[in-house]
Amino acid sequence: MEPEPGFTLLPKSLGVKVGMLIAFTITIAAAFVLYVLFARGVFEATQRLTLLADNAEGVSLGMDLTFSGFPIGRVRRIALREDGKVRIDIDVPNKEAHWLRATSVFTLELPLVGGAKIRAYTANLKDTPLADGAERPVLRGDTAEEIPRMVASLRAVLENVDQITGSGSSLQESLKSARTVTERMAGKYGVLGGMLGGEDNARKVIASIDRANALLASLNGVALKMDTVLSKADQRVLGPGGVVDETQKAVAQAQAILGEVRERLKTVDEILANAQAASASARSATANVAAATTDLAALRAEVEASLRKIASLIDEINRKWPFERGTKIKLP
Amino acid sequence: MAFGGEFIFRYRSWRRILRFAGHATVAVLSPSTYSPATRAVAVRQIYFTAWQILLRYTLFAALFSLVLIQIVAATARQYGLSQHALELTLRVLVLELIPLLTALFVALRSGAAIGAEVALMRVGGQIEDLAEAGESPLHGEFVPRIAAAAVSVFSLTTLSCALALLLAYAVFYGFSPWGFNEFSRIVGKVFDAPVLAGFLLKCLLFGLAVALIPIATGLEAERGKPKSVPFAVLAGLVKLFFVISLIEVLSLVVKYV
Repeated sequence: MEPEPGFTLLPKSLGVKVGMLIAFTITIAAAFVLYVLFARGVFEATQRLTLLADNAEGVSLGMDLTFSGFPIGRVRRIALREDGKVRIDIDVPNKEAHWLRATSVFTLELPLVGGAKIRAYTANLKDTPLADGAERPVLRGDTAEEIPRMVASLRAVLENVDQITGSGSSLQESLKSARTVTERMAGKYGVLGGMLGGEDNARKVIASIDRANALLASLNGVALKMDTVLSKADQRVLGPGGVVDETQKAVAQAQAILGEVRERLKTVDEILANAQAASASARSATANVAAATTDLAALRAEVEASLRKIASLIDEINRKWPFERGTKIKLP
Repeated sequence: MAFGGEFIFRYRSWRRILRFAGHATVAVLSPSTYSPATRAVAVRQIYFTAWQILLRYTLFAALFSLVLIQIVAATARQYGLSQHALELTLRVLVLELIPLLTALFVALRSGAAIGAEVALMRVGGQIEDLAEAGESPLHGEFVPRIAAAAVSVFSLTTLSCALALLLAYAVFYGFSPWGFNEFSRIVGKVFDAPVLAGFLLKCLLFGLAVALIPIATGLEAERGKPKSVPFAVLAGLVKLFFVISLIEVLSLVVKYV
């Protein structure tokens, strides 16, 4: 092959340049492959964690296991076991393994947008560390599965709300009556009108109150009159020249009369004694009998007169003191 | 479009390309192909395909990456999906767009040139001359170019992807070292073994296609008929674009379907 014009312009160091280019390319490619291996954790010691799930939907190889939002492990293998459960093998680098403890909980969440997420939760970071090759169940939360259930219950709720708020519903009726009541309350007779259900009734109540007020006023007058009457009665009964006063006088008179009666009775005693003496000497002296009987008749007349006076006095007291009907004056 | 379709759906042409691809791949993989003369051709080809455009292409790729990363980062932040932004960037930009862009760039710059060169050699009768002189044109001229194009595509892709990774780190975490753990975690998540293997395979296929198809269609030019050269070059480019798109789509299908 003859050299062509373009080839004569070739630089001398052609081979060197091309060699440099190829060497550089190979270096870059090798470095990249090493970097990818490093990034995939090939040079890192890992421990195995196996999660058992009912359903591996959304789980893919290379998926992260996150703790507090930080990836700490990667799904290496997914397999269906003989018993129908799913084994998810996760490699956790040893330097991240301290986040996982024996009491850690693992969840698999399927959000509406974005891929599934495997999360680890550790309540107590001082528990015993999770052993290599540990098997743990994974709790599954699926937003897409929850939605139909939520929609169903939401629909029931909405139907209820619809029923409650529909025209003719009890809520509407209550609101209507509440509005009537408040309208009445805002009216001329205020709360009273609202409570009694109409202006007429309220007017009646107010009229009754007015009448009761008038009645109280007149009762007040009556009470005042009663006061004066009582004070007068008091005066009449207890005042000077009143009933009590008179009664006291009458009692004093009665005492004087009784004193008199006692004196008379003493004389009667003497007379009786005389009569005894006389009767003793009757056999001898019957002539004195006539004189004695005339004395007795006179005495009897005097005693009767005194008793009549007392009777009339008691009648008088009874008349003047009408409140104690059953009062008796006992004679000795 | 009808013109392009005519190139794409010519059955015999495809069969020829496949046969050539089989021979060439075997020759590329056999160490006996590489004599000092073929090595010189390969070095020259790498120099033209990779070294000459290295700086410009890296700058272009960096600018492209930066704009794309910024768009992804800003949009993801707006939609509250920042945690997925870096992964998206790595998957779309580093794994898909930059290799594709590199393959197209090299196809435009060197694929067309190689195709035209081979077509001209065919028209000028140099290929027959070589065969008559006892030298195999496949081993002496074509295989070094194919190997060199593959190496160039791989090299440019690797360098641009590395640059894009650095830019992604800078855009998402600034120049602080504290994003390194998260960045490594996401890189480890995205580049698992099958993805890396697929990435390498895709780069290799792109590199092979970039030189192989233009050479194969360049050979379709007819001796002594200079007017057949543009036809052969154009057919080669159209087929090359078709094959690059096919490889990309197939890789996506295998990866995500």
